[in-house]
Amino acid sequence: MGSIVEFSGVTRAYGARLALDDVCLALEPGELTFLVGPSGAGKSTLLKLINRELRPTKGEVWVDGMAVHNLKASRVAALRRRVGVVFQNYKLLPRLTTLENVALALQVGDLRVSDEEARDRSLDALEAVGLGDRGDAFPDQLSGGQQQRVAVARAVVAQPPLLIADEPTGNLDMDTAWEMMDLFADIAAWGTSVLIATHNVEIVTRLQRRVLTLVQGRLVRDQPAGRTGRMAWLASS
Amino acid sequence: MAGIVVKARFPRRRMVRTVVANLFRYLFGGAVRNWIRNIGGTAPALGSMTLLLLLTGLVGLCGFAIHNLDQLEAGQAAVLHVYISDAATSAEVDSLWDRLAKDGRVASVDYTTKAQALLRAQNMPGLPQLADASDSNPFPASLDVHVKSVNDVAAIDAMVRYDLAVDPVYPTSYDKGAYQRIQTVLLGIAVAGFAFLGLLGFVAVTVTINSIRSAIHARRDEVAIMQLVGAPRWMVRGPFIVEGAITGALAGAAAGLVTFGLSFAGITAASNSFTQFAPGVTVAVAAVAAALVFATGLGLGSGASMIGVRRHMES
Repeated sequence: MGSIVEFSGVTRAYGARLALDDVCLALEPGELTFLVGPSGAGKSTLLKLINRELRPTKGEVWVDGMAVHNLKASRVAALRRRVGVVFQNYKLLPRLTTLENVALALQVGDLRVSDEEARDRSLDALEAVGLGDRGDAFPDQLSGGQQQRVAVARAVVAQPPLLIADEPTGNLDMDTAWEMMDLFADIAAWGTSVLIATHNVEIVTRLQRRVLTLVQGRLVRDQPAGRTGRMAWLASS
Repeated sequence: MAGIVVKARFPRRRMVRTVVANLFRYLFGGAVRNWIRNIGGTAPALGSMTLLLLLTGLVGLCGFAIHNLDQLEAGQAAVLHVYISDAATSAEVDSLWDRLAKDGRVASVDYTTKAQALLRAQNMPGLPQLADASDSNPFPASLDVHVKSVNDVAAIDAMVRYDLAVDPVYPTSYDKGAYQRIQTVLLGIAVAGFAFLGLLGFVAVTVTINSIRSAIHARRDEVAIMQLVGAPRWMVRGPFIVEGAITGALAGAAAGLVTFGLSFAGITAASNSFTQFAPGVTVAVAAVAAALVFATGLGLGSGASMIGVRRHMES
């Protein structure tokens, strides 16, 4: 089976500064991978390249068979329907209920999804993240951890082959962060590739998953699952 | 066993219904909801646009009246009255009549007797007093020459001016340059009208673009989230364009109603004067003008929004 994400000699420059420098990597289906590195190392840039929020200055980015590096603007929406995204600040629409926030991701991606189907599938996703009973709540009625769970439900409700998360535990306490990680591990176990950019060293070291380490835009280490790397300290700096 | 035939819903039809419902909800439902939510920000654009469209409607009606006036003047300028001398014999008059009728530049020739001229003068504003001032009839008989082109009137005048049958003191009604002067004035008015309409259009488009820009700015988080969850471009941009169309349609409807109302009031209150000053402007024309103002508002609102969305929203 082919890689779900493939970077081939990817460079991204902001003026004279290189945010990513000749990065090559591949993510396999169903793999949970951590992306670590100090602030400004290029983690968010890498995620934005996957989601085509940015274009590479040089190199090729492939996501689920799509050539993202030269993707037309009209095809970006199709790419984003294949990539679930979770942000540190949740990015839920405050005027919609939890259920509507999740259903939105389903229906904007496919107009053929009826209200009933959207409601059923959204409820399933909310139940999967442990919030099946909070469908009618608005985001401001939920805790940070619960809002992040809703964001995860929204990201996976359309069953994308890839989920990317940018500092998903940044605003959460340690217990909630662990719950989130369990959730991500479950999602990966069901076949979705998960790429998480994080500063949380404890989680990275204890989960023993694959770890990609970026320093000053360069991929300095690609540590396979099951090993605690010496470079893990970079995640906390 | 007799079976019961259960007719299932045709899935394609159901799918089409679902797609249409979702389309309507995300494109129009969302736009209406957002328009109402942002009415505070939209109100200045709505007000300005209504005013601009009202002015456009009224200027348009004036333009139409001026055009009709121009046609009327052109028609009148193409009629040359050749005044017959009281001393002219019938043979001289017939000879001149024949010559004019055979001329290729002339459409037709009518004869007006002195009595008919007097009768006509009594029905023209300002002339009845003159007609009644003398015991004798001061108005001459005339040959009314309908010239095919207004540009040939001068040549016809030159041809008949010194004829034996023609009054040597007041030979014809020809006034050199009068029609050209009227045309120059009308052209000036038309140019000024178009320039004014262009300015109004520019202001309306600018106001609407700014209103859409502020709406996009106010909802930038929502737009970003929609884009990130994979909403296609039309779904993100469409509601803003529909919002602009709603603003334009409401402004157009209000301006159209006022345009029609003012015209209707003018027509019914002073029918004779209105016909003189604005020839051709009837209730039906006012209704068409109102419809055009509405359509202009709709087009202007959606068009300006489209420009605003293209300019201020990233893909």
